[in-house]
Order: sequence, then C-alpha cells, then structure tokens
Amino acid sequence: MQQSKSLRKFGASLRPSGWYWMLYLLPGLLIYVVFMAYPLIASIQLSFYTGSFGNRTFVGFQNYITLFTDPTHSSRFFNAFGHTWIFFAIHMVVQNMLGILFAVMLTNRTMRGRSIYQTIIFLPTTLAVVVTGYLWKLILSPVWTGDILASMGLGFLAQPWLGNESTALVCVALVSCWQWMGIPTMMFVAALQGVSEELIEASSLEGANSWHIFRHIKLPLIKPVVGIVTILTFVNNFNAFDVVYSMENANGAPNYATDLIGTLFYRVGIAGQHPVAIADAGLGATIATITFLMLSIFVIPTLIKTQGGD
Amino acid sequence: MKKFLVLFMAVLIALLPIVGMAEGVSLTMGSWRADDVEQMNNLLSIYKEKTGVDITFQPTNPSDYNATLNLQLEGGTGPDLMYSRSYATGLELFNAGHAGDCTDIPGLHENFTELNLAPWATEDGKMFAVPFAAVSHGVYYNKDVFAANNIEIPATFEELLAACETLKTAGITPFANGVAEEWDILECFFLGMLPNYVGGAENRAKYESGELKMNDENFVAALGDIGKMAPYLPTGFEAVTYNDSQILFATGKAAMFMDGSWTSGTYGDVEFEWGVFALPAPEGKATAICFHPDLAITYNTATAHPDECKAFLEWLCSEEGVTAAVANLPAGYYPLSNFSVTFTDEHANEFLALNEGKETDARFVWPTLMDLYAPMNQAVIQVLKGAMTAQEAGDSIVAAFDALQ
Repeated sequence: MQQSKSLRKFGASLRPSGWYWMLYLLPGLLIYVVFMAYPLIASIQLSFYTGSFGNRTFVGFQNYITLFTDPTHSSRFFNAFGHTWIFFAIHMVVQNMLGILFAVMLTNRTMRGRSIYQTIIFLPTTLAVVVTGYLWKLILSPVWTGDILASMGLGFLAQPWLGNESTALVCVALVSCWQWMGIPTMMFVAALQGVSEELIEASSLEGANSWHIFRHIKLPLIKPVVGIVTILTFVNNFNAFDVVYSMENANGAPNYATDLIGTLFYRVGIAGQHPVAIADAGLGATIATITFLMLSIFVIPTLIKTQGGD
Repeated sequence: MKKFLVLFMAVLIALLPIVGMAEGVSLTMGSWRADDVEQMNNLLSIYKEKTGVDITFQPTNPSDYNATLNLQLEGGTGPDLMYSRSYATGLELFNAGHAGDCTDIPGLHENFTELNLAPWATEDGKMFAVPFAAVSHGVYYNKDVFAANNIEIPATFEELLAACETLKTAGITPFANGVAEEWDILECFFLGMLPNYVGGAENRAKYESGELKMNDENFVAALGDIGKMAPYLPTGFEAVTYNDSQILFATGKAAMFMDGSWTSGTYGDVEFEWGVFALPAPEGKATAICFHPDLAITYNTATAHPDECKAFLEWLCSEEGVTAAVANLPAGYYPLSNFSVTFTDEHANEFLALNEGKETDARFVWPTLMDLYAPMNQAVIQVLKGAMTAQEAGDSIVAAFDALQ
C-alpha cells in the first residue's frame, strides 16, 4: 500500500507540468554560464575600461568614441568591417551555392560513385587551416609554381595573387570556401535526404521538371537548413582570423587589404601591432562587443524568418 | 605518540627551508629566440655549474612573444627572467611595474658605454634591463655567383645597381627580398640602408624633433633608391615571404639577400661560398651601418627569487659572463659590453668587421618614432610596387608624423 502510494507520487512528478525537468538543465546551464555567458559579460565590461596589467581604469564609452572617431582607428575598423562583408558575400555565393549544387547532385539516385565525391568534397574540411593556408600560399606564389605553370602554357596565371591589394582578399576567401565547402554540402545532403520521395514522384507525374522540383519542393522543405547554414557562415566569417593569419599576416597584408574584424581584433586587443605590440585590451573588447551586437542583429531575424513553425 | 607527531612535524617544518636551498633555486627565462634553445641552454648550464641556480629557457615564437609575455605577466604566471625589447616596448613593461629596476646591478655602468645602455634606460637614467646583444644588417652575397659573373663587391649604390643589371641579364635573380610579410622589407632592407642617406644618431635626432622632415632630399633619395631595387627583386616579389627569401638565397636562385645578421647561422650548410658586405651608399655619401641594440634581459618584479635573478644579471655584466655569452651566442648576435671579444664563427667576424670606420646607428624608428613604423612600412612597399613615387611616400610619412604631434 505504502509502496504503491510513493510510486504514484513519483509518476505524478514526471508529468509535463512538474518542475523536475529544471534539474536536467542545471549541468548545461552551469557550463553555459561559466564558459559562455560569464566571459561574454566580462568582455563587455572590459570594453568600458582602459589600461592593462591590472591597473585598469573605468572610462565609460571612451573606447567606443575612440573606435569610431579617431581617424586611424575608425578607418581601420570600417576597412575591416567592409572586408568582412565581402568575405561573407563570397562565402554565401561560392561556398553555399556550390554546397547546394553538390548536395543536389549527391542526392541524385542515378549518380555513380557518390561516396567518392562525398569524400573528396569533405576532405579539405578535415585538414588544419594552418596546413591548407600554407599549401595554398605556396601554390599561389609565382616563385614556387611559376615554372610549372609556364611549362603548361599557363604562365599568365603566375601572378602574386596574395601580394596584390586587388586580388588578395578574394583569393583568401576562395581558399576558405574551398576548405569549408564540405560542411554546407553535408548539411544540405542530410536535409535533402529527408525530402519525401512521394512528393517528388507526385510532382514529376504532374509534369514538373527538375528545376521546378528543386525550386518549389526541395528548397522550401530545406529552408530551415538554409537558415542555419547562413547563420553559421555569418558567424564564422565575423570570427574569421586563421585563414588570413596563415596565408597573409596579422596585419591583413598587403596594405590591410585582407584585414577582417577577426585580425583587427587580434591586433588591437591581443597581440598589438608589430613591432611595439602593446595590446589595448579595452579597445579590443570594444571591437568584440560591437561584433557581438552585429551578430545578434543579423542572427535573430534570420532565425525567426527561417525557423518558423510552418 | 601525539606529542611525538607534533615534534616530528615541527622539525620537518624547520628543516624545509634548508632542504629547499640545498636543492638549488629554479628560475625560468622568457625569450623570443625560439631558434637559440641549444645555445642558451649551454650558457645557462655554465651558470648552473658555477652557482647551482637552474634557469630554464622558455622561448616563444618571435611574433608571439610580446602578446604571450603580456598575458603571462598580467595573469601572474610570467617567467622570472625575461628578454627585454629595446626602447618603448621594453620601457612599457617597466612603467607597468613588471620589469625590475636594474640600475644598481654591479658592473652595469662600468662595463657598458652610455650609448649601449641608452636603449634600456628611462629618461631619468634608470635601467630596466641589462643589455645582452645587438644585431647588424648587411647584404648576404653568393661568392660563387659573383665570381662566375665577374662581379666585385660594389663600393657605391650605383655599382650595386650595375651588378644587379649584370645578374639579371644572366638570368639570376639579384635580390631575394620580398614584401609579403611587410616587416622584413622595412626592418632589414629600408632601415638597413637609411643611415647611408640620412646619417647616424645625430641626424636621426633632428628628424625626431621635427627639425628635419622625412620628405627632405636625403630621405626621398633613400625611398627612391629602394624603389630602384624593384626590378631586381624576385618575380612576384609582392607575394614573397621572408621564408621564401631565405630559401631563394640558400638554394642559389638569388645572388644577394639584404638581411639581418641573426640569420647568418641559417646558411651553415649551403653548397656555395657566401659573404656579407655593407649596402653601399650612393656616390658622394659615406656608407653607414644599421647596428641595432636588440635584446636585453631583465627580471620580473613578481619573481619569488629576486636576489638570484639579480645575481644572474650581475654575472651577465661581468667579464666571465660576457665571455661565456660570446662563446655561446648564436652567430650574428654581438655583445654590447666594453670587453673586447673574438668570435670563432667566420661570418660573425665578417659582419662585425663591416662596422670598422663607419658610423653606426640603431634602426631609425626604434628610439622614439615607433608609431611611424607602420606608415613607413606601407610607404616603402607602395614605392616598390610603383603605387607611389618616392616624394609621395615621403609626404605620407611626414603626414603620419604630423598627425602624431
């Protein structure tokens, strides 16, 4: 009797209206607060301070004013800001469009050797950026590949692609696209595999061609994945640093032509500009905070638009 | 039993400091010379034999050193002893209270000239580090290629251009230098040749005070002459990195390389004879050398062993320490003390001999114009790429200078 009563009580506590589920959130919440929320808030707090080495002083919004009004800092910031958008646009167009294209091809049942292509497309993603960046740096250097290209009659391709201000950013972005293309491809493949075969069959019986099927059936059904891929691309680009660092330098050479928000932040907030290299952690935190705000402004509407219930 | 235990603990605690001392003190040393681990370990083991103090050499990559050190010092995990950059960068650590006051280290003022102490002295004469080594700058050249093309060491800049033309006609890249990494074209090449045009420390002070402008005749001539080197750099020099340059020279693809003495150890096993010469001044001007006080050693004010740290620095000021350092310093680094020294390395002596009878100075921007480093770096690159004339480049440096005032 007693036992069955306590069992019933336990059953009642498992009802969806109970509060017990909060307990399961605790470990996750704890990790989130300690490793994500606290550093974020601390970095926002840091953006209101100046100085380093423990003798920090509160300066209010001075760092923000400096960043936007000081001619040197503001020109560097908007230069990097613009480049980051170009970097993002190239990824959206090249990386994600090709990702969808490859995914549609890979999910085509009539295609042979699917797993081979899948592996080839995904392979660069598994390599370290430092390695691929360095290899591409050598491949794109006329000093090391000029002779080979000339012997193939392609001598005109032996240009200092990474040394010219007009081509450096595009080259770096394309290398990054090449490396990370596998991620959106795999996500789109997974999403497309979830599209019901009956829908496609039915529409083709109705006379829809493959473009119609893609545009009006597949694309709307994978919309949430398109949204997620867009957000991931956006976030990764605003945090991009490693590919520029490994292919150019932390200055965004040549002449700041490949300077992104990520490299600017590293230079201002962490390493300082070579060779004095005295970092201004407060100003760096200001750049980080603005980046965070911009990410939020872009990500939240995209989430609402693409993750809608219908 | 309990009483015995208490007694035992008391004895143990009383003995602890003695045991600790018998084991010898362990110190750590931070550095940006990741290439010199072997040499520094030799030097530090000599010191350990002498005093029992064990110093561990913990270098980081050169470009990461300042950032790493700052984070360590801020977090309270800094090394006990650390390499100190000259002028503003080193001074910053002293002003922040991290670099120790070395003014009273015995031997410091006796065994170094004021000139060599200056890069690590504050305005009121305090010393924030003990000078350790200087580097020089010069043209590395492939003796075999020079001989094969009947080229003599050029005595003037005009002769250098003629030599470059001869080499280029023969299908050899004259100079290995590139601009992709930006820093090397300024630090090694432009600042290495600048004293030929603007003179030594005396004139540098005039530029620093604004009495002379960095778009005057001499300065623009320097910018113009580095621009004349563009055709003699590797094809696609816009994308040639420092590492590429070293390989181009070491493989004999390029005949010359304007670089710092610190890499002279890199070419130990190349398949040709090489030497160095001073980048010559243009006709009618005296060739000068950029001999740059580069590194000093200081101690961390937060160290647990300040006395041991100071004792080590004192040793570095003594003749014994300097001799040991000279025997173990990597090729291309020169001690700054007054003791006369000789090197076993042929190229180290060759580099040092370039100084004879010539005026020497630190790198132009280091003492007080460090904020002009980036603008000057870009100006030099734009001239080489043909995007700016020498005059425009000079004007842009002056504009940056005026903006700082």
